[in-house]
Amino acid sequence: MRFNPNEDQATFLSVLEQMMESEEAGWRQAHEWARFDWSAPFDTMMEENGFFDCAVEETLGLVAAAAMTYRVASLPIAVECAASSILRPQYAPELPRPIAVIERHAEDPIRFLPMAKSVLFLGSDRISAAILNPDAVEPVESLFAYPMGLLKTRELDWQPIDADPDAVHDSWRIALAAEMTGALKGGLDAVVAHVRERHQFGRPLGSFQALQHRLASAATKIEAAYWLTLKSAQRIGPADAAAALGYVQEASTKVIYDLHQFMGAMGLTLEHPLHRWTYRARLLRSSLSGADANLAAVSAKRWSAL
Amino acid sequence: MDFDWTEEDRTYRARIRNFLERELPPNWVEISRHGPGSREQTEFSLDFCPKLAEAGLLVPHWPVEWGGANRPAWEHFILGEEMWAAGEPRGAQYMNVNWIGPTLMRFGTPEQKRRYIPEMAAGKAIWCQGFSEPNAGSDLASLRTHAERDGDAYIINGNKIWTSYAAMAQHCFLLARTTGEAMGKAGIAIFLVPMSTPGIEVRAIPSLIGHGDIHEMFFTNVRVPVSARLGEEGEAWSIISYSLANERVGIPRYELAVRVLGGMVRELAARGAFEDHVVRARAGSALASCEAARMLVYRAVDKRARGEMIGAEASMARVAVVEADHAVTDFGLDFLPDTFSGRAFPAHLAHHERAIVTGIAAGAAEIQLGLIARHWLDLPREAT
Repeated sequence: MRFNPNEDQATFLSVLEQMMESEEAGWRQAHEWARFDWSAPFDTMMEENGFFDCAVEETLGLVAAAAMTYRVASLPIAVECAASSILRPQYAPELPRPIAVIERHAEDPIRFLPMAKSVLFLGSDRISAAILNPDAVEPVESLFAYPMGLLKTRELDWQPIDADPDAVHDSWRIALAAEMTGALKGGLDAVVAHVRERHQFGRPLGSFQALQHRLASAATKIEAAYWLTLKSAQRIGPADAAAALGYVQEASTKVIYDLHQFMGAMGLTLEHPLHRWTYRARLLRSSLSGADANLAAVSAKRWSAL
Repeated sequence: MDFDWTEEDRTYRARIRNFLERELPPNWVEISRHGPGSREQTEFSLDFCPKLAEAGLLVPHWPVEWGGANRPAWEHFILGEEMWAAGEPRGAQYMNVNWIGPTLMRFGTPEQKRRYIPEMAAGKAIWCQGFSEPNAGSDLASLRTHAERDGDAYIINGNKIWTSYAAMAQHCFLLARTTGEAMGKAGIAIFLVPMSTPGIEVRAIPSLIGHGDIHEMFFTNVRVPVSARLGEEGEAWSIISYSLANERVGIPRYELAVRVLGGMVRELAARGAFEDHVVRARAGSALASCEAARMLVYRAVDKRARGEMIGAEASMARVAVVEADHAVTDFGLDFLPDTFSGRAFPAHLAHHERAIVTGIAAGAAEIQLGLIARHWLDLPREAT
């Protein structure tokens, strides 16, 4: 049992942190009241440096990919990291990225579709992938801080992926748990910074115990979700991935509510990035049919013999 | 990062399970019915702990000099998980192993070490912890029990309350003030007091959480030699901060909670009620809570294993453990309410009976949240 990263993981994550300090990764208001900021330069920087392939590097592994996905999700910009770093290297290394993932119905609005070069379909009994051409996609407006799109046609050149659908679903759970936990962490950090600075009644908001306890509780949930996610990326117990995703989905209701409460009216504006994290988390709550479905999957996997 | 057990860890855990299977008597359920502080379980521990000691399973993480084997912190923790999940056959002696012994090793005089540590390592010592007072619970630093210097002795007067194991204890790890109350944390010292000293009176308080867990202690002109003081006058706070960091992650309640949950699920399956989606989602939620608590506890243990000070990590672990314990109890109460009366499901009863204490003992959950806010989130202290 060792919670510290190994030497290669530590170097990898510290280079990532340096990249995350760059201007391309920072907060910028999007044009024309748009809810998301797609940062192509940051995406290119990650891709050119091979970050999306870390899962197959022996000394880095899926644990490093999950830690990276968590960190990148705490940025205010939209980056397609989860599918590219956790699904692609394992199941479809040749697939061009960014990748949009269809979990349920191909007719639903799908995140990242307007920027995606390929699409991955996670069916309950089969996994398939297709290269996208721009004509096949229609961008849709959305409150969620992701680029969202509709697939105009299902007539794509679908190629079967030879992988156990259940294993792919679990990998996707790990990816979603990492992304959602990272989004909540981004929001928490912003709110904590705000309540340290903002004075009302002659004292910092953050000195009120009513806020302190709820933020401490949120921080505890986020930490727990983070470690559950990293553990699940090591693939030890059969129910770990479902537990990590179900846990953070269930915890998110209260956390998101509190973050917006404590940011007050500033958090209602598009001039502050809070919505980038909380509205992403709101969409991810419903991923793979939401908390109850994933928690029921925990039971099915843990007590499969019953 | 590696979140799996090593082969050595697994072998060690199997060894403990085998030992428990062999050494716990058929009537263990009866003996442990009223909890670790009960007379029955305390007396049992005085037989059981020497056997553990003989097998090298009582204080394996202690230094060789004090009867241990210098085993890694993780082994000590695996031992704690298995013991707690088995109903804590060490009774009150888990405290000696976890923190009283190590505290004495670090801060005791050679004479104090010789006098107390070998007895603990042999499995024959019962201690209690004289901390809380009627007017000093969460605000421990406001305690009033007074130790007045009188030549080469101290005269101790005051009351302690909520003290676990006091009726059966041979020794008390006592906090008392050697200066005026205004001194707060700075005026407190620790005394190692034999419970047989004249002037100590113990009253058991009937409780919801088992026998022997809650007492009141009255100290009336209790005379102890200066040599009973642990550390210097005014040093108590820094010493117990070290001790309590160990204690806060000390009881691996999630391990028992997971096993109780597993039992509940098996019972539901036997009744044909485990196909229901709601039941499955709630069982999964309770399990995820337990595993979340486990990860936060392990993270604190990992820091300890690397010799780092545990800070807010211990508080986070405690908060998560409270939620996990209650999630399992609530699951059982919702879907197997009939198993919480009568004697057919002793594990459900024991868990329900003791889960309520989780958020209160060893620093209330709200105190932990305050520590997280200050030390993890760096939020400003509340105005007074």
